[in-house]
Amino acid sequence: MKKLISLTIAVFLSILTSTAQQGELRMTLSLSGASPMGEFKNLVSKTTFRGGDALILYGINDRIGVGLNIGFQDFYEKYPRSIYKLSDGSDISAVLTNSVQTIPLLATTRFNLKPGGFLRPYVSAGVGGAIVMNSQYLGEYPNEDDKFSLALRPGAGIFIPFRKEGEVGINVGVNYNFIAYKQNDVSNLSYLGFTVGIGFPARN
Amino acid sequence: MSRIKLFWLAAVALGLFSCRKNVTDNLDDNETPLYITKQEPSVDFSSYSTYSLADSVAVINNDQLVQRVRTDYDAAFIDAIAAQMESRGFTRVSHSSSPDIGITVSRIYNDYTGIIDYSNYWNDYDGYWGSDYWGYPGYDYYFPPMYGTYTVTDGGVTVDMFDLKNAASNNQLRQLWSGLVRGSGTFDIDKVFAHAKALFDQSPYLEK
Repeated sequence: MKKLISLTIAVFLSILTSTAQQGELRMTLSLSGASPMGEFKNLVSKTTFRGGDALILYGINDRIGVGLNIGFQDFYEKYPRSIYKLSDGSDISAVLTNSVQTIPLLATTRFNLKPGGFLRPYVSAGVGGAIVMNSQYLGEYPNEDDKFSLALRPGAGIFIPFRKEGEVGINVGVNYNFIAYKQNDVSNLSYLGFTVGIGFPARN
Repeated sequence: MSRIKLFWLAAVALGLFSCRKNVTDNLDDNETPLYITKQEPSVDFSSYSTYSLADSVAVINNDQLVQRVRTDYDAAFIDAIAAQMESRGFTRVSHSSSPDIGITVSRIYNDYTGIIDYSNYWNDYDGYWGSDYWGYPGYDYYFPPMYGTYTVTDGGVTVDMFDLKNAASNNQLRQLWSGLVRGSGTFDIDKVFAHAKALFDQSPYLEK
């Protein structure tokens, strides 16, 4: 946890460049996937492609962009019918399904490592909170646990403009997500996310 | 930001939130039932030989016995339990023949009721008729509180076994085992054998 916070701060402090021009508002809309890591695999182990991500950045200068990132990721895994022991000694046979949705709301900073080029790599860091909707179904009966928890998201990616010096293009990124969510089977949720989307100026 | 871009942003947001995989839509018919069983820990079922099944089913609604009936479904469920007991080595006898175990089947229904508050709904509509429409400008409306209710009924089938062999010495009808079937398909007559088998399959100790 400390390492993660340190990494996030380091990324913030190591701001180098940004795709954003001063005073420019840019938006990136992406489809996203995610692969659970660590204890999150106790709930869901499968990689998901059901998600999306919206990022709006304001260019503080020609190197740094700051803004807001909102995303959505749906995790789902159905386990075959099995018999579980209940605390009162009963045995329950059920198909168990874990359904987890995360909605991170992050203050985000992003920097371009090579502004103006045809390939524009960047690093980013986000900090904020995430709504976690965790439902465990026994058959069709859910036990729900919804929380709002601390969330961190360092990431990196590359922006590829459709034309040289263009401001509209494809954005491909990866990020590590940490959500401080505690529940019986997990002490936090972490997953590796990946995004593919389009970046464009948000103001005419 | 142009309206077109706002539109696209809203469309994407809607798309994202609608891409949650629906859990219940992804359950097959045989995946919805829950089977819950519980035994009296100290019981050795091999010490019992005979059993009797009540020939009707108790219908219990919100903790109240409504009636005892024997519909086609009830008869099929009783027969399915009997088949499982026979397969485990127990012998069915009439209830007047001093059976070791008494078995009852019950259908249990519970209603869950919620309330929807319709009070002040007219305040949500700017176009609601003003009081001047009725010739009383400046007057306020008064509506008594109005509520709508909805009720959801959830049902299950329970099978209970009682110790008749030792009833006199125990001075009570001690429960030996109980099984519960719950979920969609519980009351499907074509599935009663599967339900009974599932209850017994997870109770391997239940054997003569």
